[in-house]
Amino acid sequence: MKKKVAIFDFASCEGCELQIANLEEAIIDVATLVDIVSFREVMKEHDDAYDIALVEGSIMRPMDEKRLKQIRGNAGILVALGACACMGCVQRMVNQWPIEESMAVVYGKDNPQLKENAFYANFQTKALDEVVKVDAYIPGCPINRNEFIRILLALVQGKKPALPDYPVCVECKKKENVCMFESGKFCMGPVTRAGCDAICPTYGSECEACRGYVSHPEEKAHTEVLEKYGLSVEGILARKSMFTYRYQEEKKGVMQ
Amino acid sequence: MSKMKAMSKSDFLQLIDVLIKDESLEVHGVVAKGTKFVFAHLESSSELRLDYDVTILPPKKYFLPQYDSMMLFALTKGIQVEGVQESKKKVIVGIHPYDIIALRQTDTYYFDTHVDDLYLKKRKNALIIGANVTNVSKKAFFGDMNTGYADSGYDLMVTDLGDTMTIDIGSKEGERLLAQYAMTRDATHDEEERVRRIIEEASAKARRTLQVGPGIWHDLLEKNYTNDVWKNQAEKCLSCGTCTIVCPTCFCYDVNDKVSLNMEEANRVRTWDGCLLRDFTRVGSGEIFREKTEDRYRHRFMRKGRYLPDMLGFVACVGCGRCSSQCIPDIADPVGVFNMLSESQGMPLEKSTMTPLSTGGDIAVFQPREPLYIPRPATLIRVEKLTEWEILFEVAMDDAKPLGHDPGQFVELSIAGYGEAPISISSAPGGTTFELAVRRIGDVTSRLHALKPGEKVGIRGPFGKGFPVKDFEGKNILFVGGGIGLIPLRSLILYVLNNREAFGEVSILYGCKRPCEVLFSDDIAAWEKRKDIQFLRSVDRCPEGECWDGEIGVITCLLPKAQFDPENTIAVIVGPPIMYKFVIRDLKNLGMPEENIVVSLERRMKCGVGKCGHCQINGVYVCKEGPVFNYKEIKEQPEAFS
Amino acid sequence: MRTKSVHVEHLTRVEGHGNILFNARDGRIEKVQWQVSEAPRLFESFVRGRHYSEMSHLVSRICGICSIGHVLSSLKATEVAMNIDVSEQTVMLRRMALHGENMQSHILHIGYLVAPDLFRVGSVFPLLESHPDAVRAIVKLHRLANEMSDLVCGRTTHPITLTVGGFTMVPKEKNLSELRQNLINILPVCDAVATTILDAIHMLPDFKRETEYIGLVSDEGYALYDGMIGSTDTGRHPVAEYESVVNEVVVPQSTAKYCNHARESYMVGALARLNLNGGKLMPRAKQWAQRFGLTPIIINSFMNTVAQMVEYFHSVEESISLIDTLLEKGLVREDTTQFKVMAGRGVGAVEVPRGILFHDYTYDREGKCVKANCVIPTNQNHNNIQHDMEAIAPQLLGKSEREIELTLEMLVRAYDPCISCSTHYLRVGFMK
Repeated sequence: MKKKVAIFDFASCEGCELQIANLEEAIIDVATLVDIVSFREVMKEHDDAYDIALVEGSIMRPMDEKRLKQIRGNAGILVALGACACMGCVQRMVNQWPIEESMAVVYGKDNPQLKENAFYANFQTKALDEVVKVDAYIPGCPINRNEFIRILLALVQGKKPALPDYPVCVECKKKENVCMFESGKFCMGPVTRAGCDAICPTYGSECEACRGYVSHPEEKAHTEVLEKYGLSVEGILARKSMFTYRYQEEKKGVMQ
Repeated sequence: MSKMKAMSKSDFLQLIDVLIKDESLEVHGVVAKGTKFVFAHLESSSELRLDYDVTILPPKKYFLPQYDSMMLFALTKGIQVEGVQESKKKVIVGIHPYDIIALRQTDTYYFDTHVDDLYLKKRKNALIIGANVTNVSKKAFFGDMNTGYADSGYDLMVTDLGDTMTIDIGSKEGERLLAQYAMTRDATHDEEERVRRIIEEASAKARRTLQVGPGIWHDLLEKNYTNDVWKNQAEKCLSCGTCTIVCPTCFCYDVNDKVSLNMEEANRVRTWDGCLLRDFTRVGSGEIFREKTEDRYRHRFMRKGRYLPDMLGFVACVGCGRCSSQCIPDIADPVGVFNMLSESQGMPLEKSTMTPLSTGGDIAVFQPREPLYIPRPATLIRVEKLTEWEILFEVAMDDAKPLGHDPGQFVELSIAGYGEAPISISSAPGGTTFELAVRRIGDVTSRLHALKPGEKVGIRGPFGKGFPVKDFEGKNILFVGGGIGLIPLRSLILYVLNNREAFGEVSILYGCKRPCEVLFSDDIAAWEKRKDIQFLRSVDRCPEGECWDGEIGVITCLLPKAQFDPENTIAVIVGPPIMYKFVIRDLKNLGMPEENIVVSLERRMKCGVGKCGHCQINGVYVCKEGPVFNYKEIKEQPEAFS
Repeated sequence: MRTKSVHVEHLTRVEGHGNILFNARDGRIEKVQWQVSEAPRLFESFVRGRHYSEMSHLVSRICGICSIGHVLSSLKATEVAMNIDVSEQTVMLRRMALHGENMQSHILHIGYLVAPDLFRVGSVFPLLESHPDAVRAIVKLHRLANEMSDLVCGRTTHPITLTVGGFTMVPKEKNLSELRQNLINILPVCDAVATTILDAIHMLPDFKRETEYIGLVSDEGYALYDGMIGSTDTGRHPVAEYESVVNEVVVPQSTAKYCNHARESYMVGALARLNLNGGKLMPRAKQWAQRFGLTPIIINSFMNTVAQMVEYFHSVEESISLIDTLLEKGLVREDTTQFKVMAGRGVGAVEVPRGILFHDYTYDREGKCVKANCVIPTNQNHNNIQHDMEAIAPQLLGKSEREIELTLEMLVRAYDPCISCSTHYLRVGFMK
């Protein structure tokens, strides 16, 4: 019996779902491997009975939390798809300020249109696993298509949806890239989880840790390296907050 | 040895172009990549940069590729497996002497005991045109390591004299290639002199401030296992794996099964792994045997300077300077580290005669006997549930031959598309079937647990050193099995019980956490009934709802109750790491000599044949020299019981 | 009393979250509304104080489909603010990047999002059975577009090589040559897809509503990367004066703002671009525009999808020409770091698949962003969608609820709205 798969999105750019569409011909193989019963972006049909839910996006409002909990109730396996779902992605940086301040910056102070309006009821950005239990993660901004296929196959085969737990440097060096540090860039590769095949350094841009850290990052050693190569304290903090602000919050003990 | 030849530079480049045009060949050489150099596929001789100093990655990538396909499984056809097809013959141009020496080291390793046929095929399929060094990189120290000159290991070796190239012929293949494609003349005496000077100058330039030569490394490392240098350096370590990836004498690998999207095929791929990575020694249960960064950092140097020299007779560093220049926190440089070690200690050091040069592993000599990694098909005859987590499988090889194992050995069990796992053999030798008792932990074992009698698996082995049954004959034996330690122990117990008269007094102590975890209840019932052995059992605790009529307490509580003569009994102990500490302590307190104690140790195993590098306890390969060890010997290894 | 009620929650086959409401009672329309329910991600707040080198990486995340467009608009704004010139090579490669994005987005829209409506199915998946050749052709067109973006940008979604001053890496000539051949080879496949569209065009409602059309215009050609703001009502305006063209208001039913200029609303996107620049299309694109009956001015919003097919041809043809020029000159590796970081303000405008996009940044002396504003194309369209819905509603009164639902959905889809983008206009203003 083919597994039923449903794809959902919350606060996101939908780039991760687009990667599924970007599988091109392979999407036919995916549709053969599993039954896609809901995929709002490309399908009108919807079914509430599904085994695997792939969820993109972070949670920013009570209405989103409610919808996520419904999905969790329907799904046997819930997969966090992409950096927004896994960690909160760039919009997590909003958590640096009280939410009222951010809403005021965006919509104006005390804007009457926003009063008691569920669409605008933002709270601090959350990743999926801060609301419901998550069974598997596919990190990245956007996800890597090969990793997506591998994890999907693992879930179908009953294997553990394991992710590499070594740094991007491993994949980068195997590709014989010239190290970003040697090009004067400040790379997050040494603390970032591999699985993207070091795509950004391969194209001459330093890693920004969009996949999150490995489980035991050598943060102190990495910070020393950044300092040694000339990044200011301010610069280091900025780098560490872009995609990985969640870790900053966890360190400060600040979570909603 | 034939005389040195010479030809004009333009003729040489033309030769390269002719080789490139040859449809049967694939020509690779050193090209520029930004301001660096790499080995790459050549489209024209104009790309060739023989004036390079060092490449980012060494030429090992041609023989042990970053991602090396080992075999293909056709998943819909049971366990149908085929080896991977060979590519066109390769010609690799520009390999420096130190890299050639490193390849010879790799040969020695990959042909030792078991011949790695995948590696051998690639080596045989390549023609090496080496090049002497004309530009030395900033961090190179091959002069200190005496690897600036290679007298063998190449088919041709060229030296760039400007508008002339000299060529040393290193093999019949090289000679044939020259004869077939090029016009050469004998080199003049003057040209020979210039070559000699070029080699000398490069080696002189490639000397840094290394205070301790490679001959002293072994003793220096042995005497400084607990030096603070390791901890201090490791604080800067990123555990990024760069040093092992760029190193020409590193060749550890991991193996994974990659399934195609249509689920019809699986590709078993091996990829470079490194001992600096945190998960290198992680086993299925999650335990990591080299968890501290400083232990991993030290291990690499020990391996280069002590373990590989002890094992194969060469110092495993060729002074290429790649790790030195590419380690971002700059802690990988052997020159820096060995100097630090020598300065920080005052003990006199002995010098050995070992060098990086290796004399083993002549490619021409070795023939692969059989594919080393392709599993043989076997069928599950019987499946019996032992506990909630363990299942007993009776397995028969499809070729109907007995497995031919010793008690204590293990097999590598394959399920196509899921992977391969090391499993202890749980039955005594003999008969056409064997038994495996398997705990469900990871992908392979979980899938195995779902299989039914009649379904197929793949088997490699048996591997490892089993229990020295000949030495046990006539002796008294005390078996101590903790938890799933009983699984490998059972193979020896059954053997001994089947040949009871050959042995003295026999006692079996078995302990596990709770009654529901007790394995082999049928065997245990039988052992309890026997009058010719002593059998005691305990559980750590008995929760409500479970029944137990044996002792309650950790396994050491059984020792005082057992009747045996510690000084004249051999203890065979198998259990979780924590158990060894306490059981061995108690046995020694009772007066048992250390040489009477035999253990079986678990480490992470992938290849089972001493190639992938994961199972090492310091320099000891558990898959080759173990898993059974004499306690007195193995305890010398600091990592054995930490 | 006959009531007809349509409530589409989270409209399918559009990017982002929007709702359609329609209530009619006794032949009178009570409510017809387009609601944007997308969660605001508050980009405008969290980009405060970020370094110029990070801005394009951050705003790329506004949208997964038009990230190249956001990045280019962002880079242009920064480059204007700091007086940074870019080379001709950079302009050509950036134009190719934009073509790749247009091609990818348009074909996704045509094949995956709109086509199912024309064949009365829920998604592209049933079409795999009924029209396998057409679907495979669509996939081919989609894949080529992505290959082009991958080659130039490293990655289509959240591009990697685009940076202030140029590119971190330029494509190899060998690969550009290959791409060029692939582009030439794809043209017959495009013809086949266009023919299928031509046959199905009658399925689109014959809707007319006059409105203003706005987009980039230039004397140099069909403007996508550079130009002035053009309006079918008011002619040309400098990009730096975009605020006089774009007027935004907050409305309660939408987390996105509504815009207007010379009339109650205006439209941006492929149809608008065609209306403004139709005469400058490349030859094959022009031929197809004629065959589709797309001679400016076209005021049927449903034809936006067909205009996108015309633009696909145009992008293929112009990319071939750009590659020819690049290969003739030869590509060089450029140093993009030779500029002085300075305070300043700059506005960058590019055409992304859905219309004209503005990014407006102000930097301090250290290159930190102190003020940012950006106007998203779909934002600019929401008002027009609402007015179109109000205009078409009376024509739907006699139809079944299903037909009403389908027509209203098709209307919104025709705009190819990128809703996640549109709630994330940047308006950052704060004191340093």
